[in-house]
Amino acid sequence: MGKVLDKKRLKEFLGKVSKGKELIAPVKRGTLRFEIININYFDDICLEGRPLFSIKKFFSPAKHDLLKLNLADKKKPFEEEKTRFKPRVIFGARLCDFNGLLRLDKLFNSKEYQDDYYKAARENTLLIGINCVPAPSKYCFCESMGLEKYYDLMLHDMGNKYYIEAGSPKGEALIMTLEDYDFVMPEIKCDKKLFRKDLTQYYDNPAWNSENDKCLSCGKCTSHCTTCLCFDVMDELEVDLKKGKRFKEWDSCQFLNFTLVAGGAIFRKDRLSRFKHRIYHKLQYFREKFGMDMCTGCGRCIEACPRLIDFTEVINKFR
Amino acid sequence: MMSLNLEPFRITRKEQMTGDIYLFRAEKAKAGKSKNKEKLSYQPGQFYQLNVPGLGEAPISVCSYADDYIEFNIRALGDVTDELIKLNVGDNLWVRGPYGTHYPMIDLHGKSLIIIGGGTGVAPLRGVIKYVEKYRAEFDRVHLLFGFKSPEEMLFKKDMELWNRIFDLRTTVDKAGADYKGKIGLITKLVDESGLDSKNKAVIICGPPVMIKFTIQSLEKMGFSHEQIYISHERRMKCGVGMCGHCMISGVYVCKDGPVFRYDQIKNLHE
Repeated sequence: MGKVLDKKRLKEFLGKVSKGKELIAPVKRGTLRFEIININYFDDICLEGRPLFSIKKFFSPAKHDLLKLNLADKKKPFEEEKTRFKPRVIFGARLCDFNGLLRLDKLFNSKEYQDDYYKAARENTLLIGINCVPAPSKYCFCESMGLEKYYDLMLHDMGNKYYIEAGSPKGEALIMTLEDYDFVMPEIKCDKKLFRKDLTQYYDNPAWNSENDKCLSCGKCTSHCTTCLCFDVMDELEVDLKKGKRFKEWDSCQFLNFTLVAGGAIFRKDRLSRFKHRIYHKLQYFREKFGMDMCTGCGRCIEACPRLIDFTEVINKFR
Repeated sequence: MMSLNLEPFRITRKEQMTGDIYLFRAEKAKAGKSKNKEKLSYQPGQFYQLNVPGLGEAPISVCSYADDYIEFNIRALGDVTDELIKLNVGDNLWVRGPYGTHYPMIDLHGKSLIIIGGGTGVAPLRGVIKYVEKYRAEFDRVHLLFGFKSPEEMLFKKDMELWNRIFDLRTTVDKAGADYKGKIGLITKLVDESGLDSKNKAVIICGPPVMIKFTIQSLEKMGFSHEQIYISHERRMKCGVGMCGHCMISGVYVCKDGPVFRYDQIKNLHE
């Protein structure tokens, strides 16, 4: 059993939980996207549809500084960038977004290695979601992906009020004073399906070709993906060629140069091998290692693709 | 980020190997005035990320085996390595590492080794051989089979003189002038003609992917099993800790799960 909140009181509620924190919510200005907003612009929040970019950028930014460079200082040319972090509240994201974080955790916040920024973001972000009933995009197929109920709070639109369920003690504390409500959170239903299976024996199946032939190697699929986390590390100098920085930046396995090594050898030269690499990483390799698929069924890679390449159609052909 | 701390080392030796290849020795830059140097613990087959501030990092294999210095054999083959070879004795070298798996030297004790290298691939193997020099009694016969493009491209000529005395050293070059007295031909030919059998042997191969592929085919014909063969994979390694994704093949991170693999364990991976 959860709680209930009158829609008219949402602004007040969000204002309260985001006090002293940054509020991140989907905002429609041209395109719908997650932005840091002031609660005074509450009316800009748009919960219709889901932003094409996931919340990944708030945990692993597209470009993020790692080191300050000072070439003039021969003794200490590198200085680590301190991670400064203001606590955040993410409102209006979806179950696929939050499940994406559980995947990113495996690499960016493992026992062995932690990405400082990611770790700080994870520890200081409150996750308040909106239940996807109805599914916000025709490309959604999360119903097939067995997502976990992972969130601090989940809101379900009931017309003039929200039914709210807590998924963590932190979330519970936030809604303690709200009115109890006897209701069951409806499950997400998607028209689109993915018939998941062990892909081992399908690597050389010709079904890959039809979708792959459309690929432009633009990398939109990976940049929009909720769980794609590959990055490059680069140095950049200012015009004085003394001061500069080392930063990490999203990279894409769909780019030709992704596997380029010194001397010019490229290990995945053809698009087909790169396409399969992406899908096998999502639906095979990651599961073998961590026991969960790396795909959350958000459908963003399909929707963002300029050619609407749909890997589910390939996999659903394997019977 | 991610505890990727850079440490300052100091170049203490620099030796030109070929036109664009230099052998560097680096020691940990002394912290304070302490005379007790912190011991290094790297193993043959592992690599370090070497830094040129403002340009980036390059993953370079260790080519020595010692606890007070590391040697790197660096070929100028890109923005970072072009600058690295300009470093001189006394200069600081910022590194992080060691990363990756190493050749399982202790497991190979008691065996006879066949060490096969092609071109700059001989560099990581030099670490293995330095280990064998130190623990010579732990190994049965040691065969070194090296191939280079030309006599001018041959690496570690001084070491070779010693290795020729204490090991079974055989070299070949792809091409050479008429006055060259050594063997001419591909490394596979050298392997084919070696007459070695697979009994109680371990094979360690390092070189370009195509050389590894055909060398293994030769070894198969000679009766070697894939469990006897260790190879070192080359891939793009940016982070070195299994995060950035560049070196991953079939879910295996070459930087962390490799670069040294027993061949039977990775031969069926999809690129």
